[in-house]
Amino acid sequence: MPSHSFEASVLPHLDAAYNYARWLTRNDADAEDLVQDASIRAWRFVATLRSEDARAWFLTIVRNTWYDRFGRATAAATVAFDETRDDRSDGSPDPEARVMQREDTDRVQQAIAALPVDFREVIVLREFEDLSYKEIAAVVGIPIGTVMSRLARGRDRLQDLLEADGPAGGRV
Amino acid sequence: MTCDDAASALDPYVDGELAPDEAATFLQHIDTCPACRQTLEQRRALRRAIRRVPYRQAPERLRTAVATAPRRRRSIQPLLAWAAMLLLGVSLGAAGVVLARRTAGVGASDVLAEAVVDAHVRALMADHLLDVPSSDQHTVKPWFVGKIDFAPPVPDLSSDGFALVGGRLDYVAGRPAAALVYRRRQHTIDLFIWPDAAGGAAEAATVRGFNVRRWWRDGMAYRAVSDLGSAELDAFVRALQR
Repeated sequence: MPSHSFEASVLPHLDAAYNYARWLTRNDADAEDLVQDASIRAWRFVATLRSEDARAWFLTIVRNTWYDRFGRATAAATVAFDETRDDRSDGSPDPEARVMQREDTDRVQQAIAALPVDFREVIVLREFEDLSYKEIAAVVGIPIGTVMSRLARGRDRLQDLLEADGPAGGRV
Repeated sequence: MTCDDAASALDPYVDGELAPDEAATFLQHIDTCPACRQTLEQRRALRRAIRRVPYRQAPERLRTAVATAPRRRRSIQPLLAWAAMLLLGVSLGAAGVVLARRTAGVGASDVLAEAVVDAHVRALMADHLLDVPSSDQHTVKPWFVGKIDFAPPVPDLSSDGFALVGGRLDYVAGRPAAALVYRRRQHTIDLFIWPDAAGGAAEAATVRGFNVRRWWRDGMAYRAVSDLGSAELDAFVRALQR
């Protein structure tokens, strides 16, 4: 079994930890605090790391630290999607291209932030960290089938949010 | 493949989680079904849109703090965190002593309880809960063949409210053990199994807040570990022993 050092296991994944923390907390200061706390835990537990995947291990610690600190109540709260912030209209009639036209990153970012955290975090881990279903299941502590269904429902919601934002309204 | 099947295969396909033959079946359906093809296109467009959102990089001051703080304790905040950690450690240690005394008082003597709780926590912490993620007992059981020299029983307890989520190879006190993983609500239950003809008395213990049950059956030693409450873990054990 290889031995793992804090320097080799944690520091290279600081961006991943911060990105995940930032999406969990939706707040710069909280995200920084969270990653600091998680790093201390990681430093303490690095000797127990036996998986080769230090990134998923560190993300799990970030997730657990966040959960301990903010608890379920806060975790379940969502921020309303601000539909008035961007009232640009692009009334293209082509339904095929509807999502494509709304690729404005600000709006996508807002829509992700507006998702309930259960959906938000699996999307962030999948799309930004490129984690497999198995890795996401381990980080979040849910079965793989739940990862799959949360991704599907989260993406459905995202599409709804992004499409509802335009004049054409609902989905095809 | 029906459109319903295609809808449930959509996300695993986009995420590269389908087996090659499943992906081929999915694509065959997509070729013949414009509606599902459009859904797939929307998913792909959504992915491109999401991946265009900028990645949040750790601020430099955080990087510096993490790289230097835990051991050198230069800033106040990590120092406080360390103090809190120390306090927690002391209180947990004290709780451990109390528990140990209490269990010792009622004659508990499961010397491996500590070891299985360690294995359980290690698996949860280290992203290594499952080597074979599957709710199918007929997938999990054969997986152990060739990895260990015994065949652990892998019962389906879904009708009792305990869902099998998979298994892994683990080590308990230096010996290989099959670890079956079950789930009840948000609680994970590790069931460790290894051959042990000697047998012994069934026993309950609590280690660091985890409930541990031990028993023997058909030449195998069993340990169930979970943060699940005592009554529910007992129900799990009863279901297994049926």
